[in-house]
Amino acid sequence: MKKSLGLLLCAALLSSASLAGPLEDQIRYRQSAYAFIGWNTARIKAQLDAAERYNKDQVSAAANAIAAAANAGLGSLYGPGTDQGTGWRPSRLKPEFFQQQAEAAQLAGAFNKEANELARIAAGDDLAAVKQQFARLSETCKNCHSRFRTRE
Amino acid sequence: MSPGSGSRRTVWDLPLRLFHWLLLLSVTAAIVSGKWGGAAYALWHGRIGLLILGLLSFRLLWGLVGTRSARFLSFWPTPARLRRYFSGQWQGVGHSPLAGLAVLGLLFVLGAQVLSGLGANDDIAFAGPLAAWLSKADSDALSLWHQRLSSALLAMIMLHLLAIACYELLFQHRLLLAMLSLRKRLNRERVAAAPAWRLLLALLLALASVYFVQQLGQVRTPAPQASVATPAW
Repeated sequence: MKKSLGLLLCAALLSSASLAGPLEDQIRYRQSAYAFIGWNTARIKAQLDAAERYNKDQVSAAANAIAAAANAGLGSLYGPGTDQGTGWRPSRLKPEFFQQQAEAAQLAGAFNKEANELARIAAGDDLAAVKQQFARLSETCKNCHSRFRTRE
Repeated sequence: MSPGSGSRRTVWDLPLRLFHWLLLLSVTAAIVSGKWGGAAYALWHGRIGLLILGLLSFRLLWGLVGTRSARFLSFWPTPARLRRYFSGQWQGVGHSPLAGLAVLGLLFVLGAQVLSGLGANDDIAFAGPLAAWLSKADSDALSLWHQRLSSALLAMIMLHLLAIACYELLFQHRLLLAMLSLRKRLNRERVAAAPAWRLLLALLLALASVYFVQQLGQVRTPAPQASVATPAW
């Protein structure tokens, strides 16, 4: 009896831990995803800045990583209420994200499209094209930041 | 300088006028690229910021060693001077004490804007040269201030333009002409020019300030292929 009560207590603790979890997990996962994207963005930028030492494989790997993150379905981490919680740090998602779903989808779609396009172009040897596509991709980041992310 | 021809003096020497109009152009370019340029223009926004840094450094030095009307001490708005100005007793050439206040305010806000910009980042692919010396959180805080200050700067520019319009239209005081110095053509007389070595010194130090800031950034920015060996996977 005592043992099963202890088990029950454990189960309750575990489930309450995971009850507190889902929303914050979503925020934590998406913050991680954007940090991952940020790492790969910085790698490409560093390569483009030192074009005389351009390493196509590195850039291609980074572009593929960004595309993979974009294609992972980040939208599923934007559940209702996730503008309020704390992941690694408090979320900066603006509440109007949830009222402007069509616009959000359009901005996210643009990011996905340009990320995949960059992955395609980065596999080739046209440095100027990579530069141009990287600028296009950066633009989609900025568009969503200025629309749906609070300045902190 | 013969007395009596005082009404047609060139008040602002050429370096100062060049500074002013270059500042107008570069601040306009900075505002356009910053507010509407998008991520792709961040690099240009940064370059323009460095140009403004150079211009401001020059103005600061010219305010110390330049021609008389350019010197800060000649128009420093002390309470006594302001009192005299508001009681209508101020009679001088160059910035009035009130205008001096405005000039110092503009230079201060612009300077703060440049300094905050040097350490700012856009969270995408741009960071100012000094951002590498700061933590991400501090750089983010500077970025926020950079954005907030832009409104203050715009307000001050509006005030500046409004004041000029008042002087031109209400008081018939030809400020624009003085800043463009069309007066010079009417009268050969010039403001006593500063010695060339002072101009050279100010220009060199201004260039050095930009170079220094850029080098500071380079020192801290890691090379793409770091010399530290990392696992091949």
